Amino acid sequence: MDNAQKIYESTLIINASLDDAQVDGVIARAHDVIVKHGGAVTATAKWGRKRLSYTINKKTNGFYVNMEFTAPGSALTPLERAYQLDEMILRTLTIALDRKALAARAKAQAAAQAAAAAVQAEAPAPVPAREPLFKEGAAEKKS
Amino acid sequence: MMTTRKPRRDKENQVPRKKRTCRFCDAKEIYIDYKDEKRLQRFVTEQGKIIPKRITGTCAKHQRQLVQAIKRARHLAMLPFVSDAIR
Repeated sequence: MDNAQKIYESTLIINASLDDAQVDGVIARAHDVIVKHGGAVTATAKWGRKRLSYTINKKTNGFYVNMEFTAPGSALTPLERAYQLDEMILRTLTIALDRKALAARAKAQAAAQAAAAAVQAEAPAPVPAREPLFKEGAAEKKS
Repeated sequence: MMTTRKPRRDKENQVPRKKRTCRFCDAKEIYIDYKDEKRLQRFVTEQGKIIPKRITGTCAKHQRQLVQAIKRARHLAMLPFVSDAIR
């Protein structure tokens, strides 16, 4: 049975001792699982290394990654399983965006677009080329 | 015999209590995001406990959303469950 696509948001905490390439690898693996099960990733935001409020697996820092994707409901179980199997992912939170969250998201996107348009419109007009104050060869100094 | 009610004390009539409004209702917020830890920290004590709505003035609807957001943030280690407070 084909499930309707819903918008989900997944926040992962990845082991902070990995370098950037390895972190990208972990994210790519998660993306692959989503795409493999009929989903599409709409946004990925890396928050970077942050201090954890409490130790997780004896670690005090974590690399936070936030992903937004659309997927059918049937994709979630394999995704969660992939998160569990990956040793570099310390903790995850996957939520389906409900009506209120979607409304807030739409509002934020509209505001961001309006801000971008406003910045473009307000760009200062190009300064016109100045005429030279002194014409060449004119006004010799009186000795 | 008719029982008469005691007259209200003048004190209550003279000083009207200011009704504290929910700051989320004032800002017309629809969704309280768990990712906004700086904002959520204002609704949590130094010990990490959630402040009740009778103190913050939040309405019941937004308090429920706020609590859900705080609990999600705690799960993601953005807020502590218990933090060391100076006793």
